[in-house]
Amino acid sequence: MSTELQGTLPAAALARGAVRAEALSASTLLRLSLRLLWRDWQGGELRLLFLALVMAVTSVTGIALFTDRLERALLAESANMLAADRVLSGRGEAPQEWLAEAENRGLRTAMTMSFGSMVFSDNGNVLVSAKAVSTDYPLRGQLVVAEQPFSVGAPIAGGPPPGEVWVESRVLPALGAAIGDTVYVGEAALRVTRVIVQEPDRQQGGMMDNAGPRLMLNTADVPATQVIQVGSRVNYRYLFAGDEAELLAYEEWVDALAAGEFRMTDVREESAEVAEALSRAESFLLLGSLFAVLLAGVAIALTARRYAERHFDYVAILKTLGCTSGQIMSLYLSIQVVLVVIAIVIGSFLGWAIHALILQALSSVIPIVLPPAGSSPYVVGSLTAFICLLSFALPPLLSLRKTSPLRVLRKDLDDNTLSARLPYGIGFAGALVLMLWYSQDVLLTAILVLAVAGVVLVLSALSWWLLRSSTSVGMKAGSAWKLAMSATRRRRKQNTLQVLVFSLTIMCLLVLSLLRTDLVEDWQAQIPENTPNHFLMNVTVEQVAGIETFFRGNGVEPNQFFPMMSAGITRINGETPRPRWYDDDTDEGEQNSVTERAGEQSGAGAAAEGEEGEDGRRRVSNRQVTWTSQLPRDNEIVAGTWWGDDPRPGFVSLEDDYAERLGAQLGDIIEFDVGQGQYIEAQVQSLRSVRWDTMQPNFFVIFSPGTLDGLGGTYLSTALMATEQKVLINELLRQFPTIVVIEIDALIAQIQTIIAQVTSAIELIAYLVLGCGALVLLACVTATLDERFRENAILRTLGAGRMLILSSLCIEFAGIGLIAGLIATLGAEGSLYYLQTQVFQQEFTLHYWAWLAGPLTGMGVIAVLGVMATRRVVNTSPLTVLRHIG
Amino acid sequence: MIRIDNLVKRVPTSEGELVILKGISLQIDAAETVAIVGASGSGKSTLLGLMAGLDTGSSGDVSLGGHFLSALDEEERAMLRGQLVGFVFQSFQLLPSLTALENVMLPIELKNDSRAREKATQLLTRVGLGERCHHYPNQLSGGEQQRVAIARAFASEARILFADEPTGNLDSATGARVIELLFSLNKEYATTLVLVTHDERLARQCHRTIRLVAGQVVSDELNADVNTQVEVAHEH
Repeated sequence: MSTELQGTLPAAALARGAVRAEALSASTLLRLSLRLLWRDWQGGELRLLFLALVMAVTSVTGIALFTDRLERALLAESANMLAADRVLSGRGEAPQEWLAEAENRGLRTAMTMSFGSMVFSDNGNVLVSAKAVSTDYPLRGQLVVAEQPFSVGAPIAGGPPPGEVWVESRVLPALGAAIGDTVYVGEAALRVTRVIVQEPDRQQGGMMDNAGPRLMLNTADVPATQVIQVGSRVNYRYLFAGDEAELLAYEEWVDALAAGEFRMTDVREESAEVAEALSRAESFLLLGSLFAVLLAGVAIALTARRYAERHFDYVAILKTLGCTSGQIMSLYLSIQVVLVVIAIVIGSFLGWAIHALILQALSSVIPIVLPPAGSSPYVVGSLTAFICLLSFALPPLLSLRKTSPLRVLRKDLDDNTLSARLPYGIGFAGALVLMLWYSQDVLLTAILVLAVAGVVLVLSALSWWLLRSSTSVGMKAGSAWKLAMSATRRRRKQNTLQVLVFSLTIMCLLVLSLLRTDLVEDWQAQIPENTPNHFLMNVTVEQVAGIETFFRGNGVEPNQFFPMMSAGITRINGETPRPRWYDDDTDEGEQNSVTERAGEQSGAGAAAEGEEGEDGRRRVSNRQVTWTSQLPRDNEIVAGTWWGDDPRPGFVSLEDDYAERLGAQLGDIIEFDVGQGQYIEAQVQSLRSVRWDTMQPNFFVIFSPGTLDGLGGTYLSTALMATEQKVLINELLRQFPTIVVIEIDALIAQIQTIIAQVTSAIELIAYLVLGCGALVLLACVTATLDERFRENAILRTLGAGRMLILSSLCIEFAGIGLIAGLIATLGAEGSLYYLQTQVFQQEFTLHYWAWLAGPLTGMGVIAVLGVMATRRVVNTSPLTVLRHIG
Repeated sequence: MIRIDNLVKRVPTSEGELVILKGISLQIDAAETVAIVGASGSGKSTLLGLMAGLDTGSSGDVSLGGHFLSALDEEERAMLRGQLVGFVFQSFQLLPSLTALENVMLPIELKNDSRAREKATQLLTRVGLGERCHHYPNQLSGGEQQRVAIARAFASEARILFADEPTGNLDSATGARVIELLFSLNKEYATTLVLVTHDERLARQCHRTIRLVAGQVVSDELNADVNTQVEVAHEH
């Protein structure tokens, strides 16, 4: 037969679409995929991908379970501080129908009324902060009472019944009374039946609640006391507890009716100190789980990519055997789905086990009983696995279907299929979806995305340049060094990717560990050991020396006495001020300032906010002001100068945010109304930043000594008294009956407990993320394993020694680790700047030690991991390696 | 069975366009055995790839079992390969993660044939590997791997068999045994065999030898010995 065509092509030549093939039956598909899955598993190709998937599910489920339960517990613990889930408070009594509505909605309710009152007995009298409580009080937390003063108590359900009062221990010696005696509150004769040891919401409400020892009575007895008259200062608080959704709905309902007269609050609004700690811990946990998922995602992407690369030939063969792209996709998809389902089952179990182990380990620092977790952590974990699969693993697998069958004849084809931009795009989109889903926080997500994008850009250029510039170094060194350098150069493309992945991983770990350290240090600084736990107010200048002597005589170190008076602003540079807080009601400092709350409640104000003076000058921005020559602790000058050693009168220093809202600047002349029709002028000499959350006296306005001379005022001080010293307060009040002692020891203890808990939690999350990071590093090292295996097997065949190869591998990985560590530190500091200033509301300072630790750790860890992963190459015969790799 | 009409294959390179096949036309009938010979780079493997529908030509057309390949997309060509074509490659191309038996079962399973295991076992026994069904490719010698590949090629009951240097990776004795097996099965199944080789002795065992030089057919000759044997066989 010749090559010439004999006759024409068959007339029946079939048109497009004439070829038909049966779809693979489901059973064949499942059988095939299970077989491939099993073989790939046995061959070790799927193990890392599977491990990455399990890690993603484990970390997300574990963190979600832990945070879910911890958050519930912390909220419950915090709710204990309120004795309720929500508190409604306002001016006067709330309408009865509001409470009826709450009960109709299935909410539990209780009420408390706090007021100051003298209590008398046959042997003495004492000023107490009385609190009338309804029968169901407290709704959350426990009231602990004892049968005798100064003894250990036991929890009790409900408050005192009508006709009885319960008092704090030191009331009894002050009255010269004992349990069972009758005391008089106003006109009512009531019997003392128990001693209060612990009251859940002792520190809540106005500071007046804390000015004096507690006496608790039933609300039914209040009318008989006749203490509450028109104009009496009474703090009404309505407590609610129940289902969160119902509470939210009720809150909305009340807000609409309250018209600003009443306000519904939860612990976050009631206690700024706790709210701050909780909110930072939440952000940290969120950031931690984001990092964990992202790192697991990167590990999945890397391992799936390697898996796909190793399956190009496989797919080409399948195609020559007649497999269509659709069949190939079905095959690989079913493999992945089976893999994900197994990973979800194992990961969920491991996640549960890890969170249980953590709780076990932390049982001493989390003394509260955690409520059981819901199902949502498991759903979150499972969904994460599927999203990770779709966005990180599927793109490289999708590219498999494009493999040309011609590859069976020409192996050089299709090597670049995976460098297409689409898979990266899908991966990025998936990461974005995950981050937004977890954080529900656009700012946090934006910071992370921008940080990672910026880092990727810088890293790409920098790492490529650094690796490229290693040429001249390599030539001057010994042979292992030379070998390592030439290997680094040969694999420049993969190494750049490796440096990128290593850098991002180390960066995530650095960000978390540095942030953890800063947060813990910050919290420790907030309430350090020996923080004074009592406030002394209304102290006259004549009493100061006496009180100091009293304290010294009783083993208590007296602290600085701050003169204090109330002052309002009437003019700034001759103009009526128009402060911004009339438009914007947020004033963090005021909300946080113990001094302001104390001053307001102790009645130290000379005139009220908004009142007009005799000459019609409107007084705005009432504040407790002081004068001192020493810059108080927790204050820092941010503009201008503090008065020197010889301060002159006529100057004032303002808190910087306050000055900004007031519209005051350095050098401005401000006129203050200091009461009794007196006005003084002072020039702004400095602006200060003030740390408000330290539970210590702090002031918006500080005058230079001498400015307020002759204007009166009282003094404020603090004291640290241990529980056993508290009885001293009775003696102190007996000697100085006009002073007010505010006890904040319970509040400080509660805040310290919560801080200890959240510290443990964030440390744990940091460790979990560390595990994910290690997995990424391993996945990344393994990604270039085949080529290293082949090259090193050839080298060994040619006679290279074991040590030479190991040393060269060690140098290569250490070099990559060093560069990655350096770049990671750069990226971490950049990200931390935005995270700390924008999300965590912290001050940013460079972490100098990290600049050494980051690169060195990167170098050490990557070198060890790399050599461990590739050491098989020198322990296996070259023939086996070459035969296995093909 | 195969018809090629003025087939051209060009590929872009860094130094400009390279023409690998320069207008090849030929026809191969059913049950014919054809050797394509030529030096390295003459385009013989490219021609085999185009004939088998693994790739498409730049111009011209290939008709495989009555189907014009240029009218089919990759999916349809894959289906066509599954129905018509079997392969034997120089590097065997067995799936490393499947056993010998599973490799042979694969094309049968792809046709949803429930007797895959039975047929594959028979074929492996036929190629002398009945005892090594459950071995993985890397546990088999080169000759054994190629025999598995041959069993797989016939497992799909293909009407056309393409073999690319089937003895290229084997020593001469093993190669000879593999070729003997290939031809014997080919005869048994009455398959059309297209064999790419640079081994003249192997080529002489085919009915026809097509010689390629620089992408062009320079000769297309019948092998007298083989055809005489065929005629004698037919007479008997």
